[in-house]
Amino acid sequence: MKQLVLSVENLSFQYLGQPNEAVRNVTFHVYKGDWVAIVGHNGSGKSTVAKLLIGLLKPKHGEIRLFDTVLNEATVWQLRRRMGIVFQNPDNQFVGTTVQDDVAFALENNGIPREEMVERVQAAIRQVGMEAFLLKEPHHLSGGQKQRVALAGILALRPDLIILDEATSMLDPKGKQEVLEALIDLRKKQQMTILSITHDLEEAVQADKIIVMNEGEIVANGTPSDVFSLGEKLAEFRLDLPFVMKIKKELQQTGIPLSVHSATIEELVDELWTLYLNK
Amino acid sequence: MNVIIGRYVPSNSVIHRMDPRAKLLAMFIYAASVFFANNGVTYAMLTAFLFILLLLLRVPFSFILKGLRPVLWIVLFTFLLHAFLTKEGATLYQIGELAIYEGGLQKGVFISLRFLLLIAMTTWLTISTTPVEVTDAVESIFGPLKRFRVPVHELALMMSISLRFIPTLMEETEKMIKAQAARGVDFYGGPFGERIKAMTALLIPLFIHAFKRAEELAIAMEARGYRGGEGRTKYRLLTWGSIDTWLLASTVGVTILLLLFRA
Ligand SMILES: Nc1ncnc2c1ncn2[C@@H]1O[C@H](COP(=O)(O)OP(=O)(O)O)[C@@H](O)[C@H]1O
Ligand SMILES: [Mg+2]
Repeated sequence: MKQLVLSVENLSFQYLGQPNEAVRNVTFHVYKGDWVAIVGHNGSGKSTVAKLLIGLLKPKHGEIRLFDTVLNEATVWQLRRRMGIVFQNPDNQFVGTTVQDDVAFALENNGIPREEMVERVQAAIRQVGMEAFLLKEPHHLSGGQKQRVALAGILALRPDLIILDEATSMLDPKGKQEVLEALIDLRKKQQMTILSITHDLEEAVQADKIIVMNEGEIVANGTPSDVFSLGEKLAEFRLDLPFVMKIKKELQQTGIPLSVHSATIEELVDELWTLYLNK
Repeated sequence: MNVIIGRYVPSNSVIHRMDPRAKLLAMFIYAASVFFANNGVTYAMLTAFLFILLLLLRVPFSFILKGLRPVLWIVLFTFLLHAFLTKEGATLYQIGELAIYEGGLQKGVFISLRFLLLIAMTTWLTISTTPVEVTDAVESIFGPLKRFRVPVHELALMMSISLRFIPTLMEETEKMIKAQAARGVDFYGGPFGERIKAMTALLIPLFIHAFKRAEELAIAMEARGYRGGEGRTKYRLLTWGSIDTWLLASTVGVTILLLLFRA
């Protein structure tokens, strides 16, 4: 049995002066080494969940727990040290004047001694492949590079959980790919636990588990192939099927008996050629 | 852009490698002592000292002159003003109503030299020290004021974040100018009223974006555990070496000599 990292129980939140709850009765669990994706259209409450998780907003109901620690006013700073978040806009989260200063920022805040800080900064920058840019200033970096620096800034904390709130949605395809590869690498090499929030189902394909949100509620929950097999239902939640799934659907409609399991290009290709061979 | 960010010129000179605190303190002491100089000997001492410091920068002199160029007119103007308006000593030259006196000439030379020395000394600092180093130095030097509730750390952080965002905002302004120009807004021509309107169309979105940035930045900082200067460690290290003591000692030395030799 995998270890439970994050547990969210019956979480609700309402913005001041808003008629409806932005997040309603949300319950989910994230296990060690898992990659969980929260998807949903714009305004479905994903960012609100993210802000609740790191204690920037206070829940109306419900409980958030990281391992055995319940998030509350007394534990919030301790928990922020154990989970990191990368936000959407690459520029608006770059605090330092250079790459290394920015990666060190969270460590400085937590009073890590300097010798250890230097070591951790170097290691974190290596993990995202930015070691050649140590002294570079943010305006000399691409969006993808800035997001990798933001990721390094979190890795330097050696967190139990990494949260990404639309971290790739402002990037060009190349930048997206860079960040995604860095994440895939982290999970493979270090069994990093990842919670990625996105409205892009294409990106959610990477996840082990997908949570679909609509109007502040969880409306579907399961493996990528479970979720993608919802088909028409997803359109109801204003989500666009990934390219692979669209092709698969079309193929199925022409009478090719594809299973419901394949969710990535590789899986689909494998299935197609085995079908062809077995014919 | 270069004007705002200062005129830092990368190099590996002794001065570049010095502790920014030493350089900042040396500049303050020097600037203060410039106001005590009042005769040829003292001005000569100050000029010679600065000349040595500038030589040690190992930066082409044209860079330093570039730093001085914007103020040359002011210097010239100050010189002429004093030369013509001070009526002391023997008459040197007479053109109709206007006369130049010996005292006036001397005063003009001294005052404009004072100007030049001050500007050259600041240029010396900005050429050899990045703005971030200056910020670190300010935070460290004024650190003791924290005891009197002066928010030294916060001010320094504000300075460094501003510095970090200058290029970002510049880029955004440029983009916005282009976007507006593409829609037919004319920033450079047309009647004055129209141009003011054009500027408003530029400034308002710029400000809105800046505020949004500030808000998001604050959220990101808090999420990364920022809660003020208390209990914080620093990644950038300032190291005081013997060379820094030397710089400071020699600056103090020159000041003492100056006080002895002033009239
Ligand atoms: N600061 C706020 N004040 C009031 N309402 C907000 C605020 N932030 C978000 N909302 C509302 O809450 C809902 C959920 O927003 P959000 O969590 O940002 O969605 P998502 O990240 O999925 O796009 C939306 O209807 C949005 O308009
Ligand atoms: Mg959002």
